[in-house]
Order: sequence, then structure tokens, then C-alpha cells
Amino acid sequence: MGKYVIKRLCMALVTIFFVTCLTFLLMNAVPGSPWLSEKTPSEATLAALNAKYGLDQPVPVQLLKYLQNLLHGDFGVSLKMQKNRDVLSIILEMFPVSAKVGAIALCWAVLVGVPLGCLAAFKRGRLTDSFLRVVCTLGISMPSFVVASILLVVFAGGIQALKIFPTLFDPSQGWKTYVLPCFALGFYPMCYTARQTRSAMLDSLNQEYIKTARAKGLKNGRIIFKHALRNALIPVITYLGPQVAFTLCGGFVVESVFSIPGLGRYFVQSIQNRDYPVIMGTTIFLASFIILMNMAVDILYKIADPRINLTKGGE
Amino acid sequence: MAEKKMKRCPVSFQPDIEEMLNAGSLSPEDFESASQTEKEEFIPDRQSVSYWKDAWRRLRRNVVAMVALGVIIFLVLFAFVGPLLVPYDYDQFNKGAENLHPYHYSLEDQQRLEAEVAARTQTGTKSVDEMIAEAQAEAEAKGEKLSTVDIAKIRAQAKVAQQNAQGGESEVDTETLRKELGIKKKLFGYSADELERKAAGEQVFPHVFGTDMYGRDILVRVMYGARVSMSVGICAALLVLLIGATYGAISGYCGGKVDAVMQRIVEIIYSVPEMLVVLLIATALKPILTEFVNTQTGPLRDFVSVLGPNLISLFIAFGMLYWVTMSRIIRGQVLQLKQQEYVTAARALGASGGRIIRRHLLPNCIGQIVVTTCLQIPSAIFLESFLSYLGVGVSAPLPSLGSMATDALSGMYTYTYRLIIPSLVLSIMILSFNLFGDGLRDALDPKLKK
Repeated sequence: MGKYVIKRLCMALVTIFFVTCLTFLLMNAVPGSPWLSEKTPSEATLAALNAKYGLDQPVPVQLLKYLQNLLHGDFGVSLKMQKNRDVLSIILEMFPVSAKVGAIALCWAVLVGVPLGCLAAFKRGRLTDSFLRVVCTLGISMPSFVVASILLVVFAGGIQALKIFPTLFDPSQGWKTYVLPCFALGFYPMCYTARQTRSAMLDSLNQEYIKTARAKGLKNGRIIFKHALRNALIPVITYLGPQVAFTLCGGFVVESVFSIPGLGRYFVQSIQNRDYPVIMGTTIFLASFIILMNMAVDILYKIADPRINLTKGGE
Repeated sequence: MAEKKMKRCPVSFQPDIEEMLNAGSLSPEDFESASQTEKEEFIPDRQSVSYWKDAWRRLRRNVVAMVALGVIIFLVLFAFVGPLLVPYDYDQFNKGAENLHPYHYSLEDQQRLEAEVAARTQTGTKSVDEMIAEAQAEAEAKGEKLSTVDIAKIRAQAKVAQQNAQGGESEVDTETLRKELGIKKKLFGYSADELERKAAGEQVFPHVFGTDMYGRDILVRVMYGARVSMSVGICAALLVLLIGATYGAISGYCGGKVDAVMQRIVEIIYSVPEMLVVLLIATALKPILTEFVNTQTGPLRDFVSVLGPNLISLFIAFGMLYWVTMSRIIRGQVLQLKQQEYVTAARALGASGGRIIRRHLLPNCIGQIVVTTCLQIPSAIFLESFLSYLGVGVSAPLPSLGSMATDALSGMYTYTYRLIIPSLVLSIMILSFNLFGDGLRDALDPKLKK
């Protein structure tokens, strides 16, 4: 177990290094510079700016320098969007907003998706099952911006009675402001979880131990939640890791639709502004977060089910 | 020593070896060729069914998948043939046809409405001169004379009142008036100019889904958007197939150290957050490819310029990261298949590794390959719309369903259809690919064979 965790950590570090280098090279391949604006600065100013932030050096040197600083926990300073502000402090300010929306979305996705999946599996082949299947397939076919815009049309359109929730993010309005973004963000993972749970539950319900439980005369609720679900949850947990990533990245869109001042929106803006240190900082931060989450899920998976032998790749 | 004859139990099912041993000693005269009637009588009990025929039979029974296939075919026609039928172009600004709704009122109805509005505003309010005359009469009755200042005041008041009446009433009342008059919305959008031309007997193609703020026909834009989405989906899936199948097959076939190294690479790419990197790759590649088209010559340049640098950068971004799943699936299959006897036989005959992979291993995991490729298409479309929505996908003026939805956000309450139509087409497209892929998986899965 300890060996496995160490191995995974090493892999995670390699991956983060890979992502860092890839991002750095890609970023430098994009034409344009952070200094472009309506007023084009003079040649001398440009040269001075480039020299100040070390952009005049060759790319490999810049990369090495960046990696060196990174090892000391220095993410650099923003070049354009919040000039000269430390990137790490920007990230630490924006991330909690994204994380809060994402966490709520994921929570409701799992809390609703898993029971719905159980229900569909239990009522297999009946109307409920067909209905849920249609809803869930529809759910995984709608990009989050479609869900978000449908919500906007419904809750901010002509009908006065439906204007309960604010359509633009405003933390001063309390919980209400989270309802629409979290719904939009969580809809896809909810449907996905429900589908996964359904197929896992169907497998699990066909097992012999369910027959035994039934033969013992247990009630349906107990069979489903105690015997079948516990075993069905294991494959569902595996999908949670990637779903954390999806929710965070899906956040880009939802954040821009609802004007949430989160990290995802900031990341997209930083690409458009060519604010190199911000791009690097946010990419490394999000990537590390996602990679570590995936790793954590894999390790939890092992703890949850001792039968799984992770050292063999866990396939 | 006399040969010992085995005593056979009469009810034994064991085949008689003696007869078999003697079978080789038949002389050619013992055989005779089958007569024509015998040949005709020889009908196989059951028609031999090929793999694809069998899969198709099972797929055909799946109603949902067949409906999805129908929708896909319709969408393909819509996207690739549709623009030929509509006389507008996706970047054509139709003057005078800006902001059309996908419905119109016929000319007669419009005239009736105008007449009605004019009639309503006239009645109830007196004209200015009447009011002045009234006021003068009133003043004379009191024995005074109306000053010019008073007259000007009355005029000004009347003007304001009239303006209020017109401005306020016509806004609220046109809708109710239309209802009262029984004027109904007619399908498709026409501009005023086009309606007149149509009334004059000219053939005018309607703006079926209306137009956007520049007067561009939304139907055509949706068609082109669907075309972009489909080409991205299909090309990206093919690219993923190419890279994933090659990589997975080599990794699985070679095994050992090669496999170990290749799998480490896969693991690294697998845990890279795709969305982040695809976003960066797409942004980085687009200008590079644009420059390539502008400066280079040769067949590769022509190829790139035909498809457009935008689309190619999307394909590449997608292909570079999404092949991992495919390669894992193929590797798993190849690991199983390479233990089979026919592979050993092929190797004994001296076939090279490449030939074994191409001719023996890959054709045997075709089912998995087809299903995975088919399910890759919707996820590519999904990603493309996502990137376009964020403004890093296909760039203007070429429309994409995602970017059309972004453009529509600003006026979404007045022109909801601009947001709904592309979103709907996109969702239906992804939905039908998903459903068809699911059906295909059920049809091709050998475990489900009965």
C-alpha cells in the first residue's frame, strides 16, 4: 500500500512536470504578447518590459527559470490582468469561489444521481426506468452551456413568477445565487452518475448474495441499500475522480454564463490576454488539483474494496 | 501373434477406430461424382451469417438506435446538402432583414393592424384645434380673451398627451390588438422588402429560423455549424482511432519492457486534465496553422486551407489527448488475442509483427474499435462546442453551434430562438450519436449474442 502511494505520487509529479513544460511551450507558441492593447507601446518600452519580466530570453532558459522559481513556491506576477500582483494570491482568492460552486454541484449530482440510478435498476424495464434513461441520456448530451442558457431563459424570461433566483452571481444574496449555477454544473455529472449506478446496480442485483438476502426475507430497502448498493458503489467511486475534473473544467462555461468570479473564467481570460504567468499558474494549479484528486480517489477505492489489486494497474 | 481384436460394447458411443483407419485405403473407384439433383438438394440448414450481417440484424431490432440512425442521416443531409438548397450564405449580410423572428405577419395583416392602431389613437382624443376652440369658447363665456401663451400651453399639453398615448399604447396594445383582430403568426421570417417582392409574385426563400443582428440567415448558419460539428466529430474520432489503435496494438503485441514504457506514457497523458490542455493546444495551433497556410505552398498547404486552420487545430488538439482511452481498449483486446493459436500459426509461417497486427489482431477487435470510435464522435462534438463557446474554437465568420449560442446570449430574452435553435440542434446531434453508439455496442458485443 505504502509502495503504491509513493509510486502514484511519483507519477503525479511526473505528470505535473509534463503539463508544466507542455503548457509553457504551447503558450510561447501562441503569437501575440501581453503588451498588446489599443495603444501600442514604443519599441523601447516593449524591450524594457520584456527585459524586466525576462521575456527577452530564449524559451528554454525561461522555462528553466520558471521551474526553478516554481520549486521555491514562486508563481511569478501577473503581467496584465492585475498588474504585478502575485499569481498565487490571485489563485488563492479565486479558487474558493470555483471550488464552492463545484463542490455543491458535485454533491447534489451524487446525492441525486446515485438514488436515481438505484431506482432505475430496481424498476428495470418499466416506465420509470425508460423515463430515467431518456432523461439521463439527454443530460449527458447537453453541454453545460445549453443547460445554463435554458435555465436563464426559464428563470429570467417573461414569466414573473419564476424570477426567484438571481441569474447573475452575487454572493450578497446568500444561497439563492448558487442554485442556478450549481444546477447547471451538476446536471451532467448527475446524469452520468445515475447511468453508472444503474449499470453497476444491475450487475450487483444479479449476484448470488442478493438471492441469499432475499431468501432470508430481508426487505427491499435493506437489500438495495445495504447489500447491492455497497458493492455497486465501487465502480461509481472510480468515476468521481474524473468528474471532479469535469466539474472544475465545466466551470469555465458556467462561470462565464453566470459571471462568477472564479478561477475557470479567469483562466480563459488569461489565455485571451496572453498573461503568461497567470496561464501557467492556473494551469499548474488546476492540473495538480485534478491529478491529486484522481489519485486520492484511486487510493480510497483501494481502501473501500480490499479485493482490488491496484499494483496490477487496477484495470 | 494374432492381432487382438477389441471387443466393443454395442451401445458404446465411442467411434470405431478400425473403420477410420481403413478409410484411407479407398480406391478412387469407390467415389462417384454427385449428380446435379444431389447438388441442388444440398441446401445448407442455416444460411451462413457474416459478423456484420448478424450485428446489423440485431441493430435493426433496436428501435431507439434505428431512430437515432435516422436522425443522424437527416442531420448529415441537413448539414452537407442543406446549404446547397438555401440561397443564402453563412456570412451574407441581408440588408433590411436584420433581427427577423422565425415568424412573420402577412402584408394584409400588417396593414389591417396599422389601420386599427391609427383608428384607436384617433378616437377618444380630440384634435388640438378642437381643444383650442373649446378653450376659447369657455373663455368667451367667462367674458375673457384667450392669450397666445395659453394657446401655446394647450398645444404643448395636447402634443405630450398624444405622444404618451402613441408611445405607451402601441407597445402594449399591438399584441392584444393582434389577438382581437385574429391575426396569426405565420411560419418563417420575411423582411418587409421580401414580403413585397413575394406579393409581387417573386419566389422568395424565407428565413426559416429568422436572422441575426447582421441579417445573416440563421438556418444556413445552423447548417454550417452542424457541418463544422460533424466534421470535427468524425475527423477527430478517426484521428483518435488511427493513433489509439496503432499505439495500443503495438503496446499490447510487443509486451514486456516496450509495453511497460508505453503504458507509463499513457498513464501520464491519461491524468493530464484534457480540457485545460486542449484549450491551450487549440489556441496555440490556430495562428501557427494560419501562418502555415499564408506562407507555405504544396499539397499539404492546400489540404489545410481547404479544411481551414481552425478545424485542423481542433482535430489535432483532440487527437493528441483523446487517443488514450482507445489505446487502452485495443491493448486489452490484443493482450487476449495474441495468445490465440492463429497468431502462433501466423508467426510460425514467418509473418512479421506488423502483418500480424494488421491482418490478424486488429480485424478481430473490430467490434470494440467501431463502438469506441462511434462513442468518440459525440464527445468530440461536445468539446468543440465547448471550445467555440469560450471563443477559442472555430473563429468567425465560420459559424459553430457553440459560438452561435454565445453570440445569442446578449439578446437572449428578446431573441430566445437564436439561443434555443443551435443549442437544440447540438443536443439532438450529440444525443443521437450517443444513442446510436449505445445500440451499436449492444449489437456488436459478443457477450450479448444468444
